Amino acid sequence: MTDELRATKEELTTAEPRELVAVERAVDNRARNEALVSYWVLPFLFLTVALLGGLRVGADDHAFIFFPPPLITLVLAVLLMLLFVRGGLIELRSWVAGNQPPLANLSRIWILLTLFFASAQALNSVLPERGLLHWLFSFFFLWTLWNNQFSSFEARRLLRSVIVLFGTAFVLKHLLLASLYAPDGGWFKRIAGALAQGVSLGTLDAPMFAPATGYISFFTLGLYIVGLVLLGAKTVDSSQ
Amino acid sequence: MRQKLIQILGLTVTAAYALAIVWLYATEPRSFREVATGAQVAAGTYQVDQKKFESALSLFRRDQFRAARDEWQRADPAASDPRTQFYIAYSFYREGWGRIYYDQELFKQGLEAVNRAIALAPQPLSVADENLQLHTAAELKAELEQGIERNWGDVNPLKVMRQRK
Repeated sequence: MTDELRATKEELTTAEPRELVAVERAVDNRARNEALVSYWVLPFLFLTVALLGGLRVGADDHAFIFFPPPLITLVLAVLLMLLFVRGGLIELRSWVAGNQPPLANLSRIWILLTLFFASAQALNSVLPERGLLHWLFSFFFLWTLWNNQFSSFEARRLLRSVIVLFGTAFVLKHLLLASLYAPDGGWFKRIAGALAQGVSLGTLDAPMFAPATGYISFFTLGLYIVGLVLLGAKTVDSSQ
Repeated sequence: MRQKLIQILGLTVTAAYALAIVWLYATEPRSFREVATGAQVAAGTYQVDQKKFESALSLFRRDQFRAARDEWQRADPAASDPRTQFYIAYSFYREGWGRIYYDQELFKQGLEAVNRAIALAPQPLSVADENLQLHTAAELKAELEQGIERNWGDVNPLKVMRQRK
């Protein structure tokens, strides 16, 4: 390590002015790219997730239906944010501090706010809209997130865990349940759907949406994951 | 300096984007066309399609009330023009009016439309149209409300003598 440092020092002292300018330019570009990611890309990604997470497309008339986040998704988003802080995906102490410029603090609080609403809407996107299934899914999310609060996580493992959690909920809601309640499904699916409704006295009733809803949800979750990966990379960079 | 500019611009533009999202969830447009119309209303550049409005008016004068309403709804898709809403309410009144009884459902829809017109108008709404007998939204509202109310006057046989306004 000391040899490496010595070599770098020697390289810098013997560097030509043109090389120094190139290094300065690289440092400048890096700072500018980091600023673009922090102040433009991340808020835009998270706000787009907040926009699309509650969007459904009606099965009959293909009209837009906007579902604001239910109260339970806000509670789950708080747990998710706590998990991000505990897992080191957000370094709250270095992000918002008294010795930093007010604008930097404001920008980071803004990212946290957009991340919170994106989390709530990403959850909204994979939760069934009403009925017993809504509460079952909510309970499983609550259970998993609560248990995770007491596990030891590092940023990368936490990201993988969040991807698996959202991926499972997406498959259950937009592939399994959607095909079970699809009006154009085969006789087996229709019988299974009718049985499930009958046994549960109609509490498993789920609203029907156009297939575009599943695509929107997939895109939304993709953006959310990309946002989290960028956030993780940014945190690792700043800690280094 | 450049980084500070990126910061300030980023904050401003993303805050505007956040406001647009809140607006979308508050207004709940059902299609891209409604999004565009809503944006025009919000920006203050919204205008009623005058050609469709005139075409609806001519249908209304020929007692083609449903067709007239359809045309007015196309002329004012955002339901933001008080004059058009007044005419829609009037078409509900005329279609629902009967010598023996009033169609309650149509009168209720008319009342909703006239209330919308009153809420949208910055001052008491008055329409100068020679073919109408009720020229103000307040008069039309009173007429529609009287039609919805039930009282002993409803069984008066002389009621058949009354005239449509």
